[in-house]
Amino acid sequence: MESSASAVMPGTPSTRTNYDDQIVKMFFTATVVWGIVGMLVGVIIALQLAWWPANLGLPWTSFGRLRPLHTNAVIFAFAGNVCFLGIYHSMQRLLKTRMWNDTLSRIHFWGWQAIIVSAALTLPLGLTQSKEYAELIWPIDVAITVVWVVFAVNFFATIAIRKVSHLYVAIWFYMSFVITIAVLHIVNSLAIPVTATLSYPLYSGLTDALVQWWYGHNAVGFFLTTPFLGLMYYYLPRAADRPVYSYRLSIIHFWALVFLYIWAGPHHLLYSALPEWAQTLGMVFSIMLLAPSWGGMLNGLLTLRGAWDRVRTDPILKMMVVAVSFYGMSTFEGPMMSIRAVNGLAHYTNWVIGHVHSGALGWVGMISFAILYWLAPRLWNRELAHPKWVDAHFWLATIGIVIYTVAMWAAGLMEGLQWRAINDLGQLANPSFVDITARLQPFLWLRLLGGTMYLVGVIMMGINFWQTIRGPGKPSETAPATAAA
Amino acid sequence: MSRDTNRLLGHADEADGIEEYDNPLPDWWLGLFWLTILWSIGYVAWFALTNQSQVGWYEDEVAAADERWPEQANAAVQFAYSAEAAAAGAEIYATNCLVCHGENLEGGIGVSFIDDEWIHGGQAEEVVAIIRNGELSRGMPAWGQILSPEQVNQVASYILEGHAAATGRTMEEIMAPPAEDGPGA
Ligand code: HEM
Ligand code: HEM
Repeated sequence: MESSASAVMPGTPSTRTNYDDQIVKMFFTATVVWGIVGMLVGVIIALQLAWWPANLGLPWTSFGRLRPLHTNAVIFAFAGNVCFLGIYHSMQRLLKTRMWNDTLSRIHFWGWQAIIVSAALTLPLGLTQSKEYAELIWPIDVAITVVWVVFAVNFFATIAIRKVSHLYVAIWFYMSFVITIAVLHIVNSLAIPVTATLSYPLYSGLTDALVQWWYGHNAVGFFLTTPFLGLMYYYLPRAADRPVYSYRLSIIHFWALVFLYIWAGPHHLLYSALPEWAQTLGMVFSIMLLAPSWGGMLNGLLTLRGAWDRVRTDPILKMMVVAVSFYGMSTFEGPMMSIRAVNGLAHYTNWVIGHVHSGALGWVGMISFAILYWLAPRLWNRELAHPKWVDAHFWLATIGIVIYTVAMWAAGLMEGLQWRAINDLGQLANPSFVDITARLQPFLWLRLLGGTMYLVGVIMMGINFWQTIRGPGKPSETAPATAAA
Repeated sequence: MSRDTNRLLGHADEADGIEEYDNPLPDWWLGLFWLTILWSIGYVAWFALTNQSQVGWYEDEVAAADERWPEQANAAVQFAYSAEAAAAGAEIYATNCLVCHGENLEGGIGVSFIDDEWIHGGQAEEVVAIIRNGELSRGMPAWGQILSPEQVNQVASYILEGHAAATGRTMEEIMAPPAEDGPGA
C-alpha cells in the first residue's frame, strides 16, 4: 500500500498495543450471519408481495409477521452489529487504549445476540407491540435497555481512559448514537405490562403516534445515519489513505445534523390529525437537514480527491463512493418527500419503500461491505480467499440497488397518480384500489430480482470470509504493510 | 473550492494516523444551508400569516370540484325506488358489495341487510348516506367517490328491496324520514 507523506499511518499492529480484537471478530461474524438472514427474509417477503402463495397459508410465515422480522434483522442485527464491530475496532485505535472492560464487551455481545434470537422467535409467533421498528415485546425492551446501558458504560469509560486529548470526529458521531438511541428507545417503549408478553403503551392516540415517529425517524437518523457517518470518517480516509477534506465542515455538519434530526419526525405524520404547526415544524426541519446531510457526503467524496485513480480499480473504494453517493441521494429525496405536496403523492406508496432501500441498501449496506472487506484481511492477518469476488459483489449490489429503487419509484409514482386521478365526470378514474394494486405486480417482480442480486452478493461475501478464515490462506500482505508504515 | 488551503491540522497522531485538512466550508454548501433556512422561515411565515390549513385546502378543492361538476355536487341523492333501479343495482352490488355483504345480503365481513338491525339507521336516507360516505373505521369504503349518484340510488334500491322482502317492512316505511333523535328507527 502506498502512503503519501501527508497521511502516514502510525497505527500500531493490534498485537503490540494489546487492543481487544477478539470482540471485533465476534461482532464481525454476527454481522455477516445476520446480514444473510435478514436479507434472505427481505427476499422472501419481496416474493410474497409479488406472489401471494409464498405466504404458505401459515400464520408464522405470513407477510405480516415476516416483515417486522426483516426490518428488525437488517436494522438491529445486521446494521447494529456493523456499528458495534466498527466502534470496537476504531475507537480503541482512535483513543489509543483497550476497551475499559472486556467483560462488559462480552455481555454486550452475547446480550445483543440473545435479543436478536428472541426477536426472531417472538415476531413469527405474532408477539408484537405493533409499533414500527419497536415491535419487540416489553421483556425484550427491558433487555435492550440493560444491554445498551452496559455498552454505554463501557464506551464512555473507554473515552475517559483515552490516551489522546483530541477526540476525532468519528467518536462524536458514535457518542450521538449511544446517547440518542438510549433516550429514543426508553421513551418510546414506556408501557404498562399486563402479562409476560402483553403491555399497553403509556401514551395513547395522537401522542403515541408523535412519540412513535419521533422515535422512528431518529432510529433512521441515529441508527442508520450517525454511527455510519462515524464509521465513514474512520474507514474511508484509512482505506483511501488520504486526509479528511475539511475539519471545519465535519464540526458544522455534525452539530447541525444532530440538532435538526431530532425535530423532523412529524414528516411521517403529514396530513394527519397531528396539529398543523407540528407538521409544519417537522417539514421545515427536514428541509434544513439537506445541507448538513450533504456535508457528510461532501467530506467523504472530497476526501477521495487525489485517490480517484485507485477508486477506479479498488472495489472497496468503489463501494465507499457508491455508499456515500446513495447517502447524498436519499438525503436529497427525504427532504423533498417531507414537503407536504410531495408527501401527499408519495405517502403510503412504494416510493417510500424505494427511498428506504436507497438509504438502506445503498448507504448502510455498501459502506458496511466496504468496511468488512477492508477489515477481514487485517483482523485475521490473511489474504481474502477470493479477491475477484469483491468486484463481482460490488456490481451485483450496485445493479441490484438500481433495479430495486427504480422499480419502486415507478411503482410508487404510478400508485400515487392513479389513486388521485379524476375522470371527466369528477369521479375517481381508478375506483378500484384492487385494480391499481394488481398493476404493481411487474414492478414487484423486478424488485425481487434486484433484491435477489443484492442477496447473492452478500452470500458470496459470506463464503469469501468463511474460506478466508477457515481455509489455509496465506498470510496477508496488506496487514503487515499497514503495521510497518 | 478555490479557497481550499489543504493545510494539514496535524492531528494524525491523535487519530490513528488520519490527517485532516483545515479547508473552509465550500461556498455553495454554505449557500445551500442558508437557503434552506431562509426558505423554512418564509414557509412558516406564509403558513401562519395567511391562515393556511389542510382543512382549508380540502374545502377549497371540494368547492372547486363542486363548481366544475355541479351535477355531482347536488348529488344529495334523493332516494327514488323503482324496480328497474333495483334490477340495475343487482349488478353493481355483485361487483362491489357482495364480497363483504354476502351473495344474498346475509352479511359476512360486512353487516347483514336481511335482519332488523341497522347500526346507522334503517331509513332510506340513512342507508344512502352510509353507502356514500362509508364507515372507514370498519372498512366500509365511501362509495360516493366511486359510484355516480344514480348508481348509489340503484344499489340502495337493490339492497332495500331485498331488506323489505326479508323483513316485511314496506317501501313506504323505509322511505319515511329518519326519526329526529337519530338513527335506530
Ligand atoms: C436483499 C435485500 C432486501 C430486500 C429484498 C428487501 C425487501 C423488503 C421488502 C419486500 C419490504 C416490505 C416492503 C413493503 O411493505 O411494501 C422491506 C421493508 C423494509 N426494509 Fe428491506 N429489503 C432488503 C434489505 C434491507 C436492508 C439491508 C435494510 C436496512 C439496513 C432494509 C430495511 C427495510 C426497512 C426499514 C423496511 C420497512 C420500510 C417501511 O416501512 O417503509 N431492507 N424490505
Ligand atoms: C435528510 C434526510 C432524510 C429525510 C428528511 C427523510 C425523510 C423521509 C420521509 C418524508 C419519509 C416518508 C414518510 C411517509 O410518507 O411515510 C421517509 C421514510 C423513511 N426513510 Fe427517510 N429521510 C431521510 C433520509 C433517510 C435515510 C438516509 C434513510 C436510511 C438509511 C432513511 C430511511 C427511511 C425509512 C426506513 C423510512 C420509512 C419509514 C416508515 O416505516 O414509514 N431516510 N423519510
